[in-house]
Amino acid sequence: MGKDWAASVNRIFRTISGSKRVDKVPFLAFAGEQMICRVTGKTVKELYSSPKVYTNAIISTFEFLNTDSINVPSAYAGPTEALAFAEANNKLDAIKWFDYKPLMCKQGVICKTEEDIDKLEIPDHSKNNLWKNSLLTAKMINEKIKFPQVISLSIWSVVQELRGIDAYKDMRRNPDLLLKLCEKIYQSQMDIYENWLEIVGMPPNVFIAGYSFNRHMMSFQDSMRYEGQFIKRMMNKIKVPFMLHNCGTSPYFTEVVKEIDFIAVNGSHPLDIEYWIDFKKKHPKIAIIGANIDVSREMLWGSPSDVEKKVKENILNLAPGGRYICCPVCSLPWGVSIPNILAIPKAIEKYGNYPIKMN
Amino acid sequence: MTANESLEKLKQAIIQGDSQKAILLVKESNEMGIQVKEILNRAILKGAEEAGKLYEEGEYFLPDLLMTGDAINAATEILKSSFDLKSEIETKGTILIGTVEGDIHDLGKSLVVSLLKGQGFDVVDLGSDVPPEEFLRNAKEINPKLIGLSGLMTMSISKMIETVNLLKSENIQSRIIVGGGILSKESCEMIGADDFAKDGWEGIKKINKLI
Repeated sequence: MGKDWAASVNRIFRTISGSKRVDKVPFLAFAGEQMICRVTGKTVKELYSSPKVYTNAIISTFEFLNTDSINVPSAYAGPTEALAFAEANNKLDAIKWFDYKPLMCKQGVICKTEEDIDKLEIPDHSKNNLWKNSLLTAKMINEKIKFPQVISLSIWSVVQELRGIDAYKDMRRNPDLLLKLCEKIYQSQMDIYENWLEIVGMPPNVFIAGYSFNRHMMSFQDSMRYEGQFIKRMMNKIKVPFMLHNCGTSPYFTEVVKEIDFIAVNGSHPLDIEYWIDFKKKHPKIAIIGANIDVSREMLWGSPSDVEKKVKENILNLAPGGRYICCPVCSLPWGVSIPNILAIPKAIEKYGNYPIKMN
Repeated sequence: MTANESLEKLKQAIIQGDSQKAILLVKESNEMGIQVKEILNRAILKGAEEAGKLYEEGEYFLPDLLMTGDAINAATEILKSSFDLKSEIETKGTILIGTVEGDIHDLGKSLVVSLLKGQGFDVVDLGSDVPPEEFLRNAKEINPKLIGLSGLMTMSISKMIETVNLLKSENIQSRIIVGGGILSKESCEMIGADDFAKDGWEGIKKINKLI
């Protein structure tokens, strides 16, 4: 029997909205290009070459991993957006392709100088092949398994790709220049959204990759200035609930949810479960996707039983009352063992059926 | 202005990351006949130390440290051009550093490079996306006291393992530190490095301990 995606759709979206009609804790995973290549044996360029090939590869990978979630890894404002900017500004030498992992952008090459920022052309995403195929793939997934695809947008992730380390110096020596870059990236994100609307349709949620909200990168005030204010503007235009992703090691989750109305937060740090218990107590209406399961720890170095312990700890502490989704953060790396990934849905089956049995 | 006042002003310029002011004050200190060692230790290094303290206390953030790093480099460049720096101060040693192959992130590494140079280390920065063989070739050529491997992504851990294995198989004796937010004690042991740092400032402190 094939996977029951309808059940997964209900599980995920009902959990996020706080519905009590959820059978068990959902399992969300970020299977990026690396994992899809590993499972299907295809190269990244093969995946990207055809929405049909890409759709089938994504579905078979997520089904193999037994997740409740599914997404198109390249339909995200990270490397794909850097590629779009590189193409629009004739700077493709900034892009490096790999066979079995996503493309990379040499940070700081596209906007090396002030003039580069002044003259930076905003990409037309309808003309970028990778974006076009990624959006068509999202549409095909919607059609094939009826799983509404969530749009992922970001400001700071793209700033880092385009401006690199100079962006951090700009904060002190030329904030207006940095804001000018942020504004252009905002316009570009809205162009992605317009294309998404046209090709995929209205997304159920926006998933913000809010990398600026990290203490080791900048002050909270700066993160609001260079990313937060643009997210608020997105919210005024895109009238669906927003979720915040942050896979950094010192996130400002507590601070940011006071300023911006997110319905869910997604991250693994802090790794202390007590932080997440406290977060849930203080913000009962915000779903937690993740908590303290990090792909570079138990998932990578531990055994399936180590992973099971971690999942159990999370479920017993965070699932009662709902609004908890089990999720290792961030993207599943090449080297993580498949039994460790599969240990998550197994542990959910053991401990995560509602009502949660505390003993 | 007395020598003490001049050094104090220079220290403040370093803390504030004001490169232009730091350059002027180094020149001024030079004209006043203040010894290079005094300028370095009492103003430049002291300023770096205090900026680091502010970072640890949550008063400063990465942008501030980067500006301090720039000011340190600007000040030491002037010192180098004004004096025969090497004859007055011995280098603390050579450090070879780079972001491992397949990873192009260099935020933490850039901070480390900038502050290490200011602290009197000779730093050979191989940049980002550096293959293991490139680390090896340079290690053989310059015989560094320490090799720093940086990486942001989880996938970089396997490349760190590959690089460390290659260096050790070729009998490279340098201490090895790995840096990146993804690292833990377990991953450091698995990689076979002498130590790890989760961010640039921690890297600076640990490198100073290792050498």
